[in-house]
Amino acid sequence: MNRIDFMKQLESLLQNISPAEREEALQYYNEYFNDAGVENEQAVIEALGNPAKVAENIKRDINGAGYGDGGYQRPQNRAVVQYQQPASGGQQANPPQSKTESLPTWAIILIVIGCIMFSPAILGIAGGAVGTVAGIVLAWFGLIIGFGATAVALFVVLLVLLVTGIMCLWVDPLVGLALLGGGLVCGGVGILFMMLTVAMAGIATPAIFKGLCRLFEGKNKQK
Amino acid sequence: MVFNTGSALLDAIVLAVVSKEPEGTYGYKITQDVRQVIELSESTLYPVLRRLQKDECLEVYDRECAGRNRRYYKVTSRGWAQLRLYESEWRRYSDKITGLFEGRTDIHSDEGKDNPEGSGI
Repeated sequence: MNRIDFMKQLESLLQNISPAEREEALQYYNEYFNDAGVENEQAVIEALGNPAKVAENIKRDINGAGYGDGGYQRPQNRAVVQYQQPASGGQQANPPQSKTESLPTWAIILIVIGCIMFSPAILGIAGGAVGTVAGIVLAWFGLIIGFGATAVALFVVLLVLLVTGIMCLWVDPLVGLALLGGGLVCGGVGILFMMLTVAMAGIATPAIFKGLCRLFEGKNKQK
Repeated sequence: MVFNTGSALLDAIVLAVVSKEPEGTYGYKITQDVRQVIELSESTLYPVLRRLQKDECLEVYDRECAGRNRRYYKVTSRGWAQLRLYESEWRRYSDKITGLFEGRTDIHSDEGKDNPEGSGI
C-alpha cells in the first residue's frame, strides 16, 4: 500500500461524517505525509496502522464528543489574520507571559477611557443619588422639626387662650368658656403633635439607623 | 510503558509540546515531539489536536512553507490557562504517588480525609 491508496481508503471510510470534518482530517494526514517526506512514506503508513484504525479514531472522537454533522467550524479566519506575516526572528523570542498579559492591558485602557468619556454621566448619576439620599434625610429631620414647632405653637396658643378666656369669664362667661374650650382643643392637638415628634425623633430615627447598620453588616458578612 | 496515558494527560502533553514553540508548530512535528516523551500510536494525535482546537485551547493558521500549505497549531490564552492547571494538578498527583513510593506519605494519618485527586489523569 502506498500513500495514495492509504488516503483513498481513508476518504471512503470517512464518508459518513460531515464534509468539513472529512476535509480537515484528510488535509491533516496529507500534510503529515508531506512533512514526513517521501523517504518515510512506508514508515508512516506502518506507524499509522491501517486506514480503518485511523478512521475509527477520528469517528470515535467526533461521535464521543456528541458533535453531529456540520457541528464543527474551525476558527481559522481569526488566526490567519493574526499570523499572516511570520516573524523571521528566533523561535524562542517572546515568552508566554507577555502574550497572556497583553490582553488585560488593553482591556484596562478601554475601561479607563470609557470612565473618562462617561464621567459626566457617571458624576451626574452619583450626584443625583447622593442628593436624593441627602434630601430624604433632610426631609425627615425637617418634618420632625416642623411637627415640634407646631406642637410648641399650639401650646403657646393654648396658654394665650386660657389666659384670655379666664379674663373674659368675668365680662362674658359664654365667650370666656368658648375661648377656654378652643384653647384646650389646641392643647390636645399640640399634645398629639408632641407625641408624633417624640415618636419620630426618639423611636423611629434610632430604629431606622439600626436597621440600616444591620443591612450593611449583613452585606459585609456575606462577603 | 506500563501506564496508560488518559485523555487529560495526553491533552496536557500536547499543550506543553505546542507551547514550547511561540510561533506554533505543525502536526507531524507535534507527533514526533510527543513520541519523544510517551509511546503512542501516531493515529491518536489527530483527534487530540482536533478536540483541543474545538475547546479553543489551540488555534490554527495556515502558513506557506516550501511551496505548499502547512497548518500550524498555537496555544491560545485559554490553552495556557488550561496548561497551568494541568501542570499544578500533575505536580500534586505525582508528588503524592512519589511520596507513597518513597515512604514519605503517611497513609494512616489522614485516612478518608484526603480524596486522591487526579482520577481524570
